[in-house]
Amino acid sequence: MTKFIIRRLIGLVPTLFVIVTLSFFIIRVAPGGPFDLEKRLPPTIKKNIERKYHLDEPVLVQYGRYVLDVLRGDLGPSYRNPDHDVNYFVWNSLPKSMLIGVLALGISVVVGIGVGMISAMRQNSWADYSAMSFAVIGITVPLFVIGPVLMYAFAMRLHWLPTSGWLSGEAGWLTLVLPVVTLAFPYFAYNARLSRASILEVLRSDYVRTARAKGLRDSVIMFKHVLKGALLPVVSFLGPAFAGIVTGSVVVERIFRIPGMGQFFVQAAFNRDYTLLMGDVIVYSVILVVMNFGVDIVYGFLDPRISYS
Amino acid sequence: MNKQPPVNELNQPLKGVSLWRDAWRRLSKNKMAMGGLVVVVIYALVCVLAPVLPIYSYKFQVLEHQYLPPSLSKNAGQLMVERQEQLLLAMAGKDERRELNEEELALLEAMRGKIDTETAEIDGKTVLVHHRRYPFGTDPLGRDLLARVIYGGQVSIAIGLVGTITSVLIGIIIGAVAGYAGGQLDYLITRFIDVMYGLPYMMLVIILMALFGRNILNLFLALAIVSWLTEARVVRGQIISLKNAEFVQAARSVGAGTGRIIFRHLVPNTLGVIVVFATLRIPSFIMLEAFLSFLGLGVQAPFASWGSLVGEAVEGMNLYPWRLFIPALAMVIFLFAMNFLGDGLRDALDPQSKNKL
Amino acid sequence: MDTEVILQVKDLQTYFNTDDGIVKAVDGISYQLHRGETLGLVGESGCGKSVSCLSVMKLIPSPPGRIVGGQALLDGQDIFRQSPAEVRRIRGGRISMIFQDPMTCLNPFLRISTQMVETIRLHQGLGAAQAKDKAVDMLRLVGIPNPAKRVDAYPHQFSGGMRQRVMIAMALSCNPEILIADEPTTALDVTIQAQILEIIKKLSRELGTAVILITHDLGVVAGMCDNICVMYAGRIVEKAPVNVLYREPKHPYTQGLIKSVPRLDRPGKQRLHSIEGQPPNLIELPDVCAFHPRCEFAMDVCRRKYPPETALDGRMVRCWLYEENK
Repeated sequence: MTKFIIRRLIGLVPTLFVIVTLSFFIIRVAPGGPFDLEKRLPPTIKKNIERKYHLDEPVLVQYGRYVLDVLRGDLGPSYRNPDHDVNYFVWNSLPKSMLIGVLALGISVVVGIGVGMISAMRQNSWADYSAMSFAVIGITVPLFVIGPVLMYAFAMRLHWLPTSGWLSGEAGWLTLVLPVVTLAFPYFAYNARLSRASILEVLRSDYVRTARAKGLRDSVIMFKHVLKGALLPVVSFLGPAFAGIVTGSVVVERIFRIPGMGQFFVQAAFNRDYTLLMGDVIVYSVILVVMNFGVDIVYGFLDPRISYS
Repeated sequence: MNKQPPVNELNQPLKGVSLWRDAWRRLSKNKMAMGGLVVVVIYALVCVLAPVLPIYSYKFQVLEHQYLPPSLSKNAGQLMVERQEQLLLAMAGKDERRELNEEELALLEAMRGKIDTETAEIDGKTVLVHHRRYPFGTDPLGRDLLARVIYGGQVSIAIGLVGTITSVLIGIIIGAVAGYAGGQLDYLITRFIDVMYGLPYMMLVIILMALFGRNILNLFLALAIVSWLTEARVVRGQIISLKNAEFVQAARSVGAGTGRIIFRHLVPNTLGVIVVFATLRIPSFIMLEAFLSFLGLGVQAPFASWGSLVGEAVEGMNLYPWRLFIPALAMVIFLFAMNFLGDGLRDALDPQSKNKL
Repeated sequence: MDTEVILQVKDLQTYFNTDDGIVKAVDGISYQLHRGETLGLVGESGCGKSVSCLSVMKLIPSPPGRIVGGQALLDGQDIFRQSPAEVRRIRGGRISMIFQDPMTCLNPFLRISTQMVETIRLHQGLGAAQAKDKAVDMLRLVGIPNPAKRVDAYPHQFSGGMRQRVMIAMALSCNPEILIADEPTTALDVTIQAQILEIIKKLSRELGTAVILITHDLGVVAGMCDNICVMYAGRIVEKAPVNVLYREPKHPYTQGLIKSVPRLDRPGKQRLHSIEGQPPNLIELPDVCAFHPRCEFAMDVCRRKYPPETALDGRMVRCWLYEENK
């Protein structure tokens, strides 16, 4: 078991390595970036850069320093904002994004599986068709349409929910409802269809036929025999789903005006604040890689066919 | 001539089955897919014929016409007058008056007069500018939203098509080479794809846009660079499973060379998978571009795409909802149509597919 | 073999609705199974032998398929008329079925002990510990080494032959009156085939279980069965005791099948015999003899009507050759 984990951990290294390296080089060669000597930089920033990057040292040493800094968790100064460094922005905004992301993911999994299961058990019924049609909407309509539509309907016209803000004012946690529901929507839809299809496929399998031939009743077959195998694809999908949620949060934060990491990332892209940009990328990548790793481990636990040796 | 289908001894009709004819038969029975096809064709026609359709230019601005709501019956001038009237009534209400006084009524009359006479030069023709009708309303710069939605459609669909074709081509070539060559080359390519898969895709695109400037060409390049991965994997998988199939050995046994085998035997057999994949990729690409444009990182003014139109409209959503919902609806209808068509194609070409959701 | 009839199938018809039309997978078959008898059900792929037995167990997937007519009398009571709860009691308890592909027939996510114990507890009401002991006993009976330890393993830790033994153990664990074995050896190596058939033969004799053995392999049937039903295109075309069938096959299809088995005991070089043509498309099959396009004895009447059952001397044939002679 430990060998399995270690082997997987080692597999993470190349990706992270590539990202950090890319990051270093992008910051260095970016036109309009901190190293573009053509541009006239304000003296404070110039001082920061020279101090930080030891520009007099050979490139490889600078690279080494960068890597070490990153490993220590120091992502460098913000290029556009001399008062704060990247870490400040990240640690202020990351928790908000993570809260929404995790809530959205959780809801999408639980509700998605539930709906998928009911659809599969009542295949081709009214409930099935309407649930799956509803799910098609989640998959086809982009987040930046779903968000405004929900906001328009529930906040602006019905006034049930506030339009924006972050856990502030009297609305408190209600401000989270629309962003989380919007973000969860596509993944709930995908999970619902995925679990429905997966359950139906397992229901057609030989081993379920054997279970029926033994005289077991349908509810026992569903919960004891079917679910375990059928839900594995949903677990597999958690990795890419999380990556998608990270991307989706960018849109949701913009629409609902949430000061999360996504917002800062886009701002940095506009401002060409490369240090912040790459810092964000590194943080995101680490999170994604860790999540994928976690999913792999969980999957290995759930499927007895996967050996750990 | 005898048009009866051939029968066997038991009087059962014998049907020849070619893949494409069989697939078309299945597809045409699928109402949703056929509906999708019709919608896609309509969109394509409108986009292609746009230059000759009797619509306004997408970039001509009439600043006085800004923020007009959609209307089929009233022209711009009438809407302007209405708006002015409501404004005056609201101001009068503050003075506790219910009706407009003479001064205000005169103002409205003057407006009506101006409407019926004022002209402007558009495309070399002199027109009564306030008699324009805007079925979809206008944007903050007084541009016709109908024209902008159609124009945005051209941009979005073009990006979707070109992006898909580019990434599919790259994917086919790399995937076919990797799958057929096997060994070291395959291993290297696969590892490369794996690492690239681990990179946060959207981040990369955003970074590329930030680095090299935000224009359409860079957008294409950025999207193409990161998108060929899945195609390559799919094609590689297909080629590997077909590589050792009997018909390939047969071809080899009569002396067919490697290139010939790849392109004349293996690729056509993967064509079904590729077609389905490509059809479902187009909406994916459109969504990607729309996502970027929504954030402001995609197409820039004065160009427009569906995504940028929606992105610009979020701010004023409460007051001018049509600016958001109309382009959103246009885009969503197209996406639905493409998805139904793609699903139908997949059912038709590969009914046993494990990829069905 | 007893003379008491425990299962009587009468005029069973099972149809499937497909996009291209109705497939009459089983179109009127009747047979009897006696206590302790081993009955062989022989025919090509697609002739309806599996579907007929799945119908008896009411395991036909119901949107495309349905049992259109007929009866399945178990000890005189029609299975098709019983409530779902009673049918569930019959499955696994009175009639058990094992299937062709042992690799996919066991749930890969559950231990063998779980899968065996649930059946035993369901039909015999034993406690958990007792049921597990019984499971271990059954595994020992089918020849699994070290059964007390292996019972807690997962299916993927067994080889194909071992898994089929587990299936047999599971099927016989509740002492059913009938075991239906649907091509139990087709997916296995030849050497393992013989072992599995031996186990089925031995256990069925020890436990007094009647067996319906479904197969397309005449060699398998020869050593195992008391009586044989030959099926073609959804109907039984010949029924006879095994020795009689081999010595004197009446139906041209049966004759063709027997001639096709390669023999090592015949002298000289011979061409392999095969029956010309293809099995028919079961969609919209007209009510004529389905075999006539491939039959060297085909007559005019064969093209017009399906032959009725002709009883001869302890056996049955459906062929105009024998009906004419009466």
